[in-house]
Amino acid sequence: MAEDTFLADDLLRQLMSVGEVDLLVGVSSHNAADKLGEAVQAIERCFQQFFVRQRVVIVNIDGGDKEPPQDDPAASPVANPAQTAETIVPRQGITSLRTINRVTANYSAPPSPGTALRTLLAAADLLRARACAVVAPATCSLTPDSIAKLLRPAYQDKFDFVAPLYSRHKFQGLLARNLVYPMCRAVFGAAIRELYTDEWGFSGRLAASCLNQNVWHEEAIQTRPEAWMALSAISSNFRCCQTFLGEKPPAARGPATDIVEVLRQTVGTLFWCLETRPSLWLDAEPSPSVTTFGPDHELTTERSDLDPHRIFAMFRTGVTELEPILSSILHPDTHVEIKNLVAIEEGKFRFKPDLWVRTLYDFAASYHHSVINRSHLVQALAPLYRGMTHSFLLEHSDSSPAEMEASSEMLCSEFELQKPYLRERWKTKVEVTS
Amino acid sequence: MRQIILQGLEQVYSKLFHMIAEFLPRFLVMLIIVLIGLLVALVLRYILGGVLGLTKLDRVAEQSGASRVLRMAHLPSMSALLSRSIFWVTWLAFLLVGISVLGIPGFQEQISRLFRFLPEVFVAILIMFLGVAIANFLSRTALLAAVNAGHPSARILGWSIRFVIWILAITMTLEELGLARHTVISAFSILFGATMLGLAIAFGLGGQDLARKALERYFGDAKKDREKDKEPQPL
Repeated sequence: MAEDTFLADDLLRQLMSVGEVDLLVGVSSHNAADKLGEAVQAIERCFQQFFVRQRVVIVNIDGGDKEPPQDDPAASPVANPAQTAETIVPRQGITSLRTINRVTANYSAPPSPGTALRTLLAAADLLRARACAVVAPATCSLTPDSIAKLLRPAYQDKFDFVAPLYSRHKFQGLLARNLVYPMCRAVFGAAIRELYTDEWGFSGRLAASCLNQNVWHEEAIQTRPEAWMALSAISSNFRCCQTFLGEKPPAARGPATDIVEVLRQTVGTLFWCLETRPSLWLDAEPSPSVTTFGPDHELTTERSDLDPHRIFAMFRTGVTELEPILSSILHPDTHVEIKNLVAIEEGKFRFKPDLWVRTLYDFAASYHHSVINRSHLVQALAPLYRGMTHSFLLEHSDSSPAEMEASSEMLCSEFELQKPYLRERWKTKVEVTS
Repeated sequence: MRQIILQGLEQVYSKLFHMIAEFLPRFLVMLIIVLIGLLVALVLRYILGGVLGLTKLDRVAEQSGASRVLRMAHLPSMSALLSRSIFWVTWLAFLLVGISVLGIPGFQEQISRLFRFLPEVFVAILIMFLGVAIANFLSRTALLAAVNAGHPSARILGWSIRFVIWILAITMTLEELGLARHTVISAFSILFGATMLGLAIAFGLGGQDLARKALERYFGDAKKDREKDKEPQPL
């Protein structure tokens, strides 16, 4: 075990009573205790339907809750080893031949996804789990089938990282579509569409590898560890795949919908990965596409009540008001082009892909050179992202899913085409005089 | 008569000779001290430059915005500035010690006063540097938060914060240097109080609607959420 002093005695005692397992599913019940019961039932049904013969365990990572529920099925300190599936959920035809163990890990550290994942990886490593999945009851509508889809590629097909894929509304997930996915694909050679997600699967080998890395104190890892895990898998030549899970549930109110907070968590982590692993991407070539189980993408086109006018107004104001900050981040030519965009009439506004790519690469290089405080730098991206979003909404108001996919591919190509520009900016700092 | 003149000249020559004989060794000592000082200053500059390079001070200065202020004033980077400062301060100190060896009357007192003043100058520079860095950081934080929340006049807010902290830093610096202490504190109190009172009156009388809207915006979560809904879900 890599971290034999990290786990609490109580958790160690629980894990030792479980012994070795084939499958492990981790649930982080932090501030989601009301949905924990449903999640545990879905996981147990998954085990009973799809993994009847396997040794399994459910690990609840409990980081505390503002309002703990009265009858929390996984809140009991542990699982009685004699407690079988039949006593937890009613019989539904096929039942598990093995005990479904349940373990609850309470950690005193401030609750964070990074701490939860680290605990889970340590548990997986100790139990020698062959395949693991992380699910989040707070944001996802879990079904036995979706959990099985995350576990099966790692357990049966020997994949090491299993990313989910979702059916989405065509105007949802624009940060992933226009920034995270194309940039990661071009820079890291990682053609994984959903790098920032609340549910994913991984192998025991990858768990052990990630656990041994000395990064857990980093803020980027504490907030969004899943993208780092995917990039670690790619960089260490682990096998990655994607699996289609169905419709993406809408995010609950809170930090997940605040664009500045989302940018800090996602783009901040992405830039941090660029910064800490330059050898991984500086000379990397685009990798072949990742194996996908199910459809590669699916878009729906229901009506939406988005307000492009407000988004454009915020872009305009942002570029004007943040001029001194943007001038220290962007290359002078890029900055001039963006300032020119502000003068364009709203209806004719287009944020061209090449300018968007150069803008992002300038931000990444400036993050590397620390031209300003890094948190401020990522926040300064918000108005420009809004500009790109507005352009996207105008351009694709009547586009079909196929057209949008073609446009997305073009953007990915642009990112790959301009990668030398990022390399150049990364290695040489542009002195800005003001 | 001629004898008296010759005797006078002889006395003057003798005095001059004695003075030169007394002055020359001291002058040589001064030169040696100054040269040693130059050498020590160069070594200190080199060592400090290396240490500051290791501590990545320039990166911190860049992040805090202090480098930007230095660039605006056509000054070199923070580490270069500190290295040069230590060179000049060290050499100046040796120079003053050297000059004191010459034993020029009245000069000793001036030099010792200057030495007593040096720590205060250093503290004043430190206060000013921290003031500029904090002002830049906080004004940028406010500017970004205001812009991303869609507030109008975000830059004015940022500048106001910067201005207030600069004034505070300048006041503290001047107080540390002991320059017109009472005048500076009085001026600061009057200026700060008048600005705040002016803003309060202007906001209260002229911006009642704006104040109500601002309060609704800050405390009305429901409206905030409705506005967020009009942006696409990012992930």
